[in-house]
Amino acid sequence: MTKNENRCVITGLGMITAIGNNVAECWKNAKQGVRGIAVTSTVETKNCYANLAAEVTDETLDDVDDAMSMDRCAKLCVKATGEALRDAGLDSFGDSTQAAVIMGSCVGGVASVEHYYTHNKPAEDVPKIPISAIANQVAKTYHIGGVVTNIANACAAGTISIAYACDLIRAGKADVVIAGGTDAFSSIPFAGFLSLHALDENPCSPFNRCSGITLGEGAGAVIIESYAHAMQRKARVYCEVLGAGVSSDAFHITAPRPDGKGQMHAIRRCLVNSGVTPAEVGYINAHGTGTAKNDEAEFLSLHTIFDSENNDLSVSSTKAMVGHCLGAAGAVEAVFAVKALTENIVPPTVGYNEEDMPRLQERAGKIDFCPNQAKGKQLTTVMSNSFAFGGNNASVLFSKQSGNVELPAQRDRIFITGLGVVSPLGNDIDCYTRKVQSRAILTEFSVESHVDRADYDACGLKMAFYRKLDRFSQLQAVSGKKALIDANYIVTEENATDIGIVVGTADGPISTICNYQMDLLEKGMAAGSAFKFPNTVYNAAGGYLSICSGIQGYNVTLTNGIQSGLASIAYGINILRSGQEKAVLATGTDENDAIVTELYEKLGCFAVDNTFRLSDGSTTLLLETESSMRTRDTAPYAELLGYGMVNQSTTLEHFTDSESALERAVMLALHDANISSCDVDGIVGFADGLNVTCQVEQSAMAQIFSQKLPCFHIHPMTGEGRAATAALSAVHGALLLSGKLGEKVYSENCGVITADGLQMLLVISQSFNGAYTAIILKSVK
Amino acid sequence: MCEQEIAVKIKELLCSRLGIDEEVLTDDIPLFSDGIELDSIDSLEIIAAIDEEFGVSMTGVGKESFYNVKSLTAYVAEHLEK
Repeated sequence: MTKNENRCVITGLGMITAIGNNVAECWKNAKQGVRGIAVTSTVETKNCYANLAAEVTDETLDDVDDAMSMDRCAKLCVKATGEALRDAGLDSFGDSTQAAVIMGSCVGGVASVEHYYTHNKPAEDVPKIPISAIANQVAKTYHIGGVVTNIANACAAGTISIAYACDLIRAGKADVVIAGGTDAFSSIPFAGFLSLHALDENPCSPFNRCSGITLGEGAGAVIIESYAHAMQRKARVYCEVLGAGVSSDAFHITAPRPDGKGQMHAIRRCLVNSGVTPAEVGYINAHGTGTAKNDEAEFLSLHTIFDSENNDLSVSSTKAMVGHCLGAAGAVEAVFAVKALTENIVPPTVGYNEEDMPRLQERAGKIDFCPNQAKGKQLTTVMSNSFAFGGNNASVLFSKQSGNVELPAQRDRIFITGLGVVSPLGNDIDCYTRKVQSRAILTEFSVESHVDRADYDACGLKMAFYRKLDRFSQLQAVSGKKALIDANYIVTEENATDIGIVVGTADGPISTICNYQMDLLEKGMAAGSAFKFPNTVYNAAGGYLSICSGIQGYNVTLTNGIQSGLASIAYGINILRSGQEKAVLATGTDENDAIVTELYEKLGCFAVDNTFRLSDGSTTLLLETESSMRTRDTAPYAELLGYGMVNQSTTLEHFTDSESALERAVMLALHDANISSCDVDGIVGFADGLNVTCQVEQSAMAQIFSQKLPCFHIHPMTGEGRAATAALSAVHGALLLSGKLGEKVYSENCGVITADGLQMLLVISQSFNGAYTAIILKSVK
Repeated sequence: MCEQEIAVKIKELLCSRLGIDEEVLTDDIPLFSDGIELDSIDSLEIIAAIDEEFGVSMTGVGKESFYNVKSLTAYVAEHLEK
């Protein structure tokens, strides 16, 4: 039985989809098999072979607080989270650091990208565009002070959000988490799926006709609490969230593996992490998109895992009613799964005619796909599966029982054993070290990193592979491969599932997204590029990295501003501490070009009194457990002792208001590392030439540390490469501690000092939204 | 437009839209399988590019016409409105 301290319970539900503006409406209609699919009223479909969508009709969306500053996807999200919180009997969290928001999304504010390019580029659109904006809007609305981030793993994002929420609770990093996902129907996904010929001309028919998807939109939210937190406030509990399983196909950027291996790995991991057998699962809310490739692979996965052990399994795809809600899908389907569980009713898979039934019987075997009619069934444990672009697979279990969720009895120590750098200072550690030692200060206000054939050759990347990647993914592939090479970590078929990937990014492939939108505006919706579309999703880079490295373990892309590059390390620590992997590639990646520079100019970053320099790059750190490292007999750069993450929602204009959040993040990191402020010997800071970030950093550090500590800043040399620079700050710290930057090192406030005196370093990073991550590194010399 | 001009244009399209390195893209190298290793997404892009550039629809055309630059050129030349 799961120990009480590892139990996570759901206490609130919220959703909005094409078949209802709240849970009650959606569930009532789902039970009746109501389809929310109709001809789209929002996207131009001239010359398009398909024109259907499952769109939300809610006249009150603009009534949410601060609606003017939100993209439609954020409004949908705030609406669903508001319902979930009311349902849970919760309201505002008073900036508690034990309250968190984890929101999934695939395309984020792409409707605002379209608005930007069709309305003379208003600056007000810019903050609405990145996926980062979503969780922050929720955090701002409900005063969330803990971990705030977005999971950007396309169609698996909603499910991975729930998985991460539970990991945070079990790690003691949160007591209550608002988890879920959101996406709004918009031009780019419509044109993109159209270009791939993946849209059905008719309403989608999963596990039946399998001739394509119908896009939907909406949001789903669940309130997940630690068992103790829920009991203490006598909350009504819907069910337990047991374990989850996350995996990567390492196969193709859009298509699932035909052998279902990645899907099955996620499902099996989920069962094992939950301590549940296949026989105990009564219902599965399937991914069931309605494409031939997905449905074939999913039939195979379900039959392979469940046929021999489960004689009473029900499966349905609710996408036939609400469409494919992309980053919201996993969250919406989690709510349906929880309703099914608690009301003992399996929602149907709609869309079957009488003549379809013999074929269904043949393909379904003994699994009941609940054609057209909901059915009553006593349920104890239910599963929800999501499979995404990039080859990401995620599976989660909900139950009326507490299962057998076990965490490692003892925390393994975690070390940094490999580094990969693509930066304006060069693309390998030696080059970076030389440039840092020569203190080459950037003078241009906007610079770019550079990858070329020599990098691909050094990483063993063939033209057949790298030609498919946009620049964002190229940066990531090179730094990721270089980190593996640096660590001499060889991925084999035997260890491929022992290693995962956590990509952190502030803006994702924003240039690719904007270019895609501009192409659509110029050439029409029917002229979207099938080749470029897969690169518009944030998790493409992580997907490509898994393909070129063979990594088949955990794969997640998180995004919440600049600090995402350190947040990826924190996420990696969670994965390793919970025993889900033995090694993790934690990365920070962002791109810069004329488009990105224009967006940051609109945000006001290049005001005359700042010395802000925008740049880009990709930084990857291989994090390994001590046992994995010892097996490989490798020498680490540094040990990772702990982390802290705190949010205090703000804007760049009012950034100094969030100073206390940085202080709290550092205090939490010190606590996690089990050290005191006196133990810290130096700081790698985030000051990036903006007056406000410099002020906040200086002031907060003065509050925390009574001693004068040497401060190291890489931004004057690297520029603000956002997540890439945040992760590079950690690399810089690891290089300082390992002595690779030389015996004498330069710090801004203390001048030249002896590196030998550095035993513990604090590395900090921020986002303009007021989210902070702090990590503690320790020397291994 | 003569066949040579069509071939040059097709090569330009394949390089610019599919990221293929110019120096490896000969008239004869197989585009799929062991040659350039294009996949199904690339074939959709080729169909769109040829339609846009030449006004020739290759939707539903047999895979032999997609074998290499030469076969694509032959198909376009044959179906291009004179």
